[in-house]
Amino acid sequence: MDNKHIIGVFDEEDALMEAVHEVKEKGFRIGEIYSPYPLHEAIEAMGKTSRFAFVAFLYGFAGAAAVLAFMYYTAVIDWPVNYGGKPTNAFPSFIVVTIIITILTVTILSLLTFSVRAKIYPGKAYILPDARSTDDKFVVIFDKSLLNGKQTELEDILKQKGAVEVYEKELKPEN
Amino acid sequence: MYKTEVRGPLILGDKNYRQISSDIIAPIDRPAPLWWKAVFGLGILATLFGLFAMYQTVAKGIGTWGVNNSVGWGWEIINFVWWIGIGHAGTAFSIFLLILRQKWRTSINRAAEAMTVVAVGAAAIFPALHMGRVWLAFYIFPYPNSRGPLWVNFNSPLFWDFIAISAYLLISASFWYYGMVPDFATIRDKATSKIKKAVYGFFAFGWTGSTSEWLRYEALSYVLGGIAAVLVVSVHSIVSTDFAVSVIPGWHTTVFPPYFVVGAIFSGFAMVMTLMIIIRKMYKFQDYVTNSHLDAIARILIFISLIMGTAYATEIFVAWYSGSQYEMFTFFKNRITGDYTFQFWAMVVCNAIIPQLFWFKKIRQNLTIAFIISLLINLGMWYERFNILITSLSKDYLPSSWVTYHPTWVEVGVYIGTLGIFITGVLLFFKFIPMIAISEVKSILKVTSIKKNESKISSHGQ
Repeated sequence: MDNKHIIGVFDEEDALMEAVHEVKEKGFRIGEIYSPYPLHEAIEAMGKTSRFAFVAFLYGFAGAAAVLAFMYYTAVIDWPVNYGGKPTNAFPSFIVVTIIITILTVTILSLLTFSVRAKIYPGKAYILPDARSTDDKFVVIFDKSLLNGKQTELEDILKQKGAVEVYEKELKPEN
Repeated sequence: MYKTEVRGPLILGDKNYRQISSDIIAPIDRPAPLWWKAVFGLGILATLFGLFAMYQTVAKGIGTWGVNNSVGWGWEIINFVWWIGIGHAGTAFSIFLLILRQKWRTSINRAAEAMTVVAVGAAAIFPALHMGRVWLAFYIFPYPNSRGPLWVNFNSPLFWDFIAISAYLLISASFWYYGMVPDFATIRDKATSKIKKAVYGFFAFGWTGSTSEWLRYEALSYVLGGIAAVLVVSVHSIVSTDFAVSVIPGWHTTVFPPYFVVGAIFSGFAMVMTLMIIIRKMYKFQDYVTNSHLDAIARILIFISLIMGTAYATEIFVAWYSGSQYEMFTFFKNRITGDYTFQFWAMVVCNAIIPQLFWFKKIRQNLTIAFIISLLINLGMWYERFNILITSLSKDYLPSSWVTYHPTWVEVGVYIGTLGIFITGVLLFFKFIPMIAISEVKSILKVTSIKKNESKISSHGQ
């Protein structure tokens, strides 16, 4: 399959962002931006949002309900033990375990969600257009098939905004 | 965006991004230095001795320890609480300071989290051994078993403790690991040897640093940070309930949870200081672990030391104010004076008095003295746990059951073993994992050295 991309390499975060805003204004569709550290401006420019916090809240809610129900079942229904006549549904002392297990549930399910949504897992075949982007370069890529022959215009903008390299590359998954 | 001008630049030496990666990765590429090999060898020896002591414990039974009917909890629980305390700074550092958007954490959090994981792992050995028949340790899991099914007692602090410690170990390890994923990718992409590329590539989980990854990565770290912040407070509170819900004089007090939490953060921060001074000195990371980083830790230590002093004073006041003769006896006849005077005053001097020397700027900046003080704090914290456990247990309500307690070589051996495990674990971390969070340090480069870079903005990367 043809998977040719135009790749712009920048030295500076600011130069990259200027270029990104410019090409967006001119109507180009950005494929993806790669950076050595999180760039909030870039994430915004890509129009990406995440409902992670809300999902994590649901996990926590489910975890808390499940563990409370479990403790109620074991301590009250399945095998009630008489501790000196105290109520078997010892709600206040169930709270400690509930809190910890809720945190544990949120953590484990959030890690799984992250793994699924961001597609980060062991043995993944990844596509990294320019290997220097995990070190010191900021990289923006464009799908060539979507450019409709405006490739030179794009390359000019990138270079004018301070790209140190602009080149064409066929992207292949690495392992 | 705010600037951390109060603290001065957090990265010295006018670095660019590439220099940051190569500086931090350098110890992984270099062969291990001689001091590393020597200390590692010592650590392995200590670990082997500890394993032998553990073997004695398991093969012959708890009778090889010095504990008895009165002092049922000896060195094992002292050391358990001590290690858990040390293991608190990782979370306190990376999570509290992450939520508070403190940028100076970036150079330190990785090492603090590594320390946490190793220390909590070392701590977990003690309660497991203390069960006596460690091969039946799985009884503590609440699972549908053939013994009834007899469920665990959800009202017992000992069960809470088990849940809290296991959850803490799991969560801090995963938080630590996910923090390293982008850095593993950096090593993968800079590696020249094929094996290294494959190994670090495997651990990098296919990270590329695209916006869709960073978006979720940051969301994940804030979710985990927010939720795990509770753990900083809860884990040691729960450990303290092991003591506080009993009726032993000196334990039965409401100040215990906050007192334990603060003590834990105190010893953890002191251990972070110890490690950061070692890292800075041995790996020449002065540009990343600057004087202002260590200064910040020292200032926190002054503050926590004041809280510790207040807690000690509160305990003594409440012992008198309660009007209970047993409390009075424990504090005034068995701690301040009496058989355990040395341990009590060692605790007060090391924890409440010596750290106050950090008020002097000269002492904060003299790393030799700071290093010694950081070690003394952890010594003092060990004595604190000794005080709590041994003084209260050896002389309680019934004078006929008063005993003295001496650890046997097996108990000392297990402790030495955990020290060995800690040392080897930390050294392996130094060697194979980037000691400083590369991507996080890069993200603060512009902000913290902004003035320097304004004039020559194009100096980054050529």
